[in-house]
Amino acid sequence: MKITTVKMKIKSSNRLYLCLLILAYFPLFITAQEQPTYLVGGTFHIGNGEVVSDAHLLMMDGKIIELSTRFDNQIKNAKIVDVTGKHIYPGIIALNNIMGLNEIDAVRATRDYNEVGAFNPNVRTAIAYNTDSKILPTALFNGIVFTQAVPQGGQISGSSSLFYTKGWNWEDALVLEDDGVHLNYPDLTTANDALDQANTVQKQLEALVLFLEEAYQFCTLPKPQVFNLRFEAMRKVFTGKTNLYVHVGTAKGMLSALALIKDKYPTIKLIFVGAEEAYQLTSTLRLYKIPVVLTAIHRLPIYSHEPYDLSYQLATMLLDSGIQVAIAQAGSWESRNIMFHAGTAVAFGMDKEKALSCITLQPAKILGIANRIGSLEIGKEATIVISEGDILDMKSSKISTVYIKGEQVEINDVQQALNKKYRQKFKLKE
Amino acid sequence: MRYCFLILFYFWANAIFAQPTFPLNGPSNQKPEHFALAHATVWTNSEQMIQDALLLIENGKLIYVGAYKNIPADYTLVDLSGKVVYPSFIDLFSDYGVQWEPKKAYRNTHGFYSAKRGAFHWNEAIRAEEKAAAYFNPDEKQKAGYLTAGFGITLSAIQDGICRGSAVLVSTVSSSAQEAILKEEATMNWSFNKGSSTVDYPNSAMGSVALIRQTFYDTKWIKTQQESNISLTSLAKNQDLPVLFDAENKWAVLRAHKIANELNAKNWIIKGYGDEYQRSKELAEMRLPMVIPVNFPKPYDVEDPFDANRVSLADLMHWEQAPGNLASVNAAKIPFSITMKGCEDGHAFLKNIRLAVQQGLPETAALKALTETPAKLIGASAFCGSIREGMSAHLIVCDKPIFEKDAKVLAHWNGGVYMPVNFETDFPVTGLFELQSELPYQQIQITQQGAKLTGSLIGNDTLELSVSREAGTYQLSLIPDKKAALHCTMRLAFVKQNNVLQASGIATWQSGKTVSVLLKQVAVSNLKESPKQDSIQKLVSQIRFPFVEYGYTKIPEPEEVIFKGATVWTNTKSGIIGKQDVHIKAGKIIAIGAELSSATAKTIDAKGLHLTNGIIDEHSHLAIYKGVNECSQAITAEVRIGDVIQPEDINIYRQLAGGVIGAQLLHGSCNPVGGQSALVKLRWGKSAEEMKIKGADGFIKFALGENVKQSGGGPGLRYPQTRMGVEQIYIDAFNRALQYESELKQHPTTTRKDLELESLLEIIRKKRFISCHSYVQSEINMLLHVANQFGFRVNTFTHILEGYKVADKMKAHGVAASTFADWWAYKFEVMDAIPYNGAILNDMGIVTAINSDDAEMGRRLNQEAAKMIKYGNLSEEAAWKMVTLNPAKILHIDHLTGSIEIGKDADLVLWNNNPLSIYAKPLYTFVDGICYFSLASDLKSRAEVQQERNRIVQKMIALKQQGVKTQKQISIQDENYHCEDEN
Repeated sequence: MKITTVKMKIKSSNRLYLCLLILAYFPLFITAQEQPTYLVGGTFHIGNGEVVSDAHLLMMDGKIIELSTRFDNQIKNAKIVDVTGKHIYPGIIALNNIMGLNEIDAVRATRDYNEVGAFNPNVRTAIAYNTDSKILPTALFNGIVFTQAVPQGGQISGSSSLFYTKGWNWEDALVLEDDGVHLNYPDLTTANDALDQANTVQKQLEALVLFLEEAYQFCTLPKPQVFNLRFEAMRKVFTGKTNLYVHVGTAKGMLSALALIKDKYPTIKLIFVGAEEAYQLTSTLRLYKIPVVLTAIHRLPIYSHEPYDLSYQLATMLLDSGIQVAIAQAGSWESRNIMFHAGTAVAFGMDKEKALSCITLQPAKILGIANRIGSLEIGKEATIVISEGDILDMKSSKISTVYIKGEQVEINDVQQALNKKYRQKFKLKE
Repeated sequence: MRYCFLILFYFWANAIFAQPTFPLNGPSNQKPEHFALAHATVWTNSEQMIQDALLLIENGKLIYVGAYKNIPADYTLVDLSGKVVYPSFIDLFSDYGVQWEPKKAYRNTHGFYSAKRGAFHWNEAIRAEEKAAAYFNPDEKQKAGYLTAGFGITLSAIQDGICRGSAVLVSTVSSSAQEAILKEEATMNWSFNKGSSTVDYPNSAMGSVALIRQTFYDTKWIKTQQESNISLTSLAKNQDLPVLFDAENKWAVLRAHKIANELNAKNWIIKGYGDEYQRSKELAEMRLPMVIPVNFPKPYDVEDPFDANRVSLADLMHWEQAPGNLASVNAAKIPFSITMKGCEDGHAFLKNIRLAVQQGLPETAALKALTETPAKLIGASAFCGSIREGMSAHLIVCDKPIFEKDAKVLAHWNGGVYMPVNFETDFPVTGLFELQSELPYQQIQITQQGAKLTGSLIGNDTLELSVSREAGTYQLSLIPDKKAALHCTMRLAFVKQNNVLQASGIATWQSGKTVSVLLKQVAVSNLKESPKQDSIQKLVSQIRFPFVEYGYTKIPEPEEVIFKGATVWTNTKSGIIGKQDVHIKAGKIIAIGAELSSATAKTIDAKGLHLTNGIIDEHSHLAIYKGVNECSQAITAEVRIGDVIQPEDINIYRQLAGGVIGAQLLHGSCNPVGGQSALVKLRWGKSAEEMKIKGADGFIKFALGENVKQSGGGPGLRYPQTRMGVEQIYIDAFNRALQYESELKQHPTTTRKDLELESLLEIIRKKRFISCHSYVQSEINMLLHVANQFGFRVNTFTHILEGYKVADKMKAHGVAASTFADWWAYKFEVMDAIPYNGAILNDMGIVTAINSDDAEMGRRLNQEAAKMIKYGNLSEEAAWKMVTLNPAKILHIDHLTGSIEIGKDADLVLWNNNPLSIYAKPLYTFVDGICYFSLASDLKSRAEVQQERNRIVQKMIALKQQGVKTQKQISIQDENYHCEDEN
């Protein structure tokens, strides 16, 4: 595929021609914004719950400079893009997935997310993220611009980072390096099944408590006599500089995690991931201000007695209780549907703009970079998605344009090329 | 006198080795064999009782049964005053004395054929040649439980495998195998469980059904053949014996009955699980007798609310209702006998039987089920099951009527053999005793709590004593206590002397000093009230259909409804029309138009709402019991999903809540030819058979690619391992089917009926239709060629993610497509899958559906259809048809459902929004005019579920706090199967 960087200078007559020949006439990768751009008209969904209609937004030097309904002091040399009738959103943030770490689920050689051993806080997805993955473009096509590449497996899987879904290499795709360490909490629900299982869970718990305490002691030494990568990797977690993502589903597990981690190491920034039974603990979660990352709205209830729509309603129940919630979809290729998870939450009671916030501003807050991304607020990165209609509803969710740091990027890729190729073969209209 | 009776029994019990064929070692030891059992209350059968009876037994035979009369001189008198005599109980489901162990030599390395050498069945799970009699030897340990419970006779079988061979009827009283066997081969025993067989086939419940059916057909066929097959000839020889079928739950019972029906067999007896009350209507309609256990669950430990969460309502309700099962079975007039199977021991059995009686099982019915019925079922009424002149004496002696609390079986009588069970003193040793000894204490008090005896030593102070019994004597020991420096153990024998109970023996002191002790009873104490362990109230919860959460207490009926003013998605030429009324009645759509009215109809205000035909899922693995894949062979065309529908899968309800009304339940995709599908409507609460769409065409699953060539792992031994092999499997199979057809024509009576080839032949003859799991274009093209070669049409390619590459060829062949909206990247063969596939196929004029393959996605197929708009620019109408009319066409049921037209089934969903919008949710789901789901009724059900759970949980917690034993319970959740699942 040919890549061109002369995008804005091409005349419109040539554009059509080029469009047929090569899919990518916008930069495939992120470059610095060359020209200030106004998006004019349209409905701006800020990401913080607000909606501004018939406004204009100015992007300059990769940042949002202006968002206003009054359009008088137009700056010179700016490009004006008419977005009337369209919906404008902040770039969507997909938390907790393995895009870029996994290519084909069933092929071991393409899997890069699970290191050997129980305690691996030191391994980092930051350097394993494959920007040439075939999966990433399918997410970008739907408006997902940020992805948190999360390691899996073991008791402590490693350290995640936040990336753009487009980039030349991991280094330039990095948005936030080592945003947190991921801990898989022992599954207490199976503990009563059989003695040996109880023992396994008990052993896991003991090993976890011991690891945390040893790591903590190590990190408090002014000058350790030895080096230890695993313990060292926990330093930023203990000081609260990075998050500790605790992957835990049951209420029992969450209570246990609070008792064993939050109580002992109060400076740790604890985030529960999964948290299917969080609705049973709303006051506790609110008390300790624990944010929750839901890993699927589209899932079956766990128990046969649960209401059929419990997972659809869960995010709303938590939000209404004053708990900070992000919506995610675990997996790799599946993650491109994250906005529809948010949409289903709306069908079952959530406010639309709040649902949008669960995949934009809330994740940014959890990551601690809400000052940079997550909403269409002035001063933030101009990473913006334009949709033909409501982005949360597949019936109308068609992304026409994506800007990363003020630059329009190409969102079509192999799947669109194959569509085109075979439609042409069968002489079908496009 | 009573005492003498017991002693007598004790000694006689030792004299039972008198076998004529055995050589004598020393002088003979003959005993008198004429007995007069006098003064007992005798139940000669479940209805007739003789008080102050006399039974004369001569050489093991009853020669007189009647009122007391003068006893002939040469009879030994056994005084049974105050005792109650019943015919021996008969347990038809037992492994008593069967010393079966799967032979180690049979360990299989390849798993394709039996490792058992010789002219036996190819599948080791068919062990028809085995005789339990050949493995039988009385087992003293097992014996105690049966004797305590009153079972003097058991039908003992090898409880392992699908065909378990013949079962032997034995007396549990005899200690010699020769004497114990009453009938060498009484039944042929079967189950759905392959047990210890190391042959891969079957690995699913549906495979078991197929193997059973084929084996019965083979039994007929083997008679016409020269070929020897010891397993089959054993079956043929024993074909007149009753079949005793071990079914693991109520649906398995119906499954077994279906096989019996197909074979036109009348002599089947089915052993159930104890959950028959949940479907007593259907079970009564079978008109087959059953063997039913009384294995009532202990209450669950649900004190921790997190633990309570893990117990399903079905398990909670079953705990509460299981004791009422037999009453319900009896009321439904299902003929039944009772087995001890599943009870901890004989005491637990008797306790549970009494519980069943408390719950409304008449005592006479219980007695009949323990005696006459089992005897009759296995054709043994001539010598057991009742007490009649001329019969062998198989009877039990009880201290009081057996259904009364704490009644005990004192002795068994089996012909000439007696076996005492409880040879403890039959007077209570409780009471206050005067202590005569050198001990500084004057009295001993012995009290009983439940079955446990405790005592206290009374003097200036009172010390606790533990009481235990051994060989008829009692040991009283001071319970070690820091305060009491005293250690003392007494060993005593209780004897009634001149009507005063006394105990004599010795006491050993701490110092080692031994003194003699005599106790004399001065007061008889009453038993302490034992805690109310049995106090389960009468049935309080109602039966639910299905017996799970969100089940109905009454199965709903078709309603007459007019939906007023809806936007109607007709799926016809009329398209989507606003402000329409739709009138349904008796399960059908009877009118569509403006301003419809009817005096008898209920109206639903549908202004601003959308009315559509319900969603039909072409590719579902919902509601399947024990295995979606029969993976063991490349071709398993003989297995049928229709045999293993699990109508209580909670996911059925969840699909209804998502607007789904019907589905094709498909076999998985692990072999080139999988099993036959079941086409169902989601009739929640109805039985497996009722869920099936009547008159629907037969479908079958084929599969191509990575799954069938076992790319995911495994030993790689099964053919095929390449796409090349897949083609050859098909060509060979269809040729064999044609060959079978011509052999049948030439030799209709001697050709072996082959279920697999019959199914394949149906495909060629256009009576069965293929739904083929497929991904890449090469293999799609291949199957089209195979179909052309054999002159049939492939009905459907399902998944078909690269269909867009060969859409022209598919169009030319006339095959339909059923695909995912946007699944990809989960394995190598789906890397070229694109979300535009469905739209391209549709635009080519191929009938295209969007399917789920997953219970989660299945309940929001409307969203998946909407993705066709996002990715393929389809019109809303075209997108909507992809989950309604198109799948109906693909499944050949579009004459019944799939669109809103007069005369079609009222399979309707009323949505709160455009159904393709993510914001849409069903308000009502009707199937056949029956409202199986509505938001309002769902809210009501939630509250009920909550309430009912809480009520039973509280009851269990209360029992636990009273000291009743509880058990941990984690309920099994319904499986969510996918194609890919190994089984």
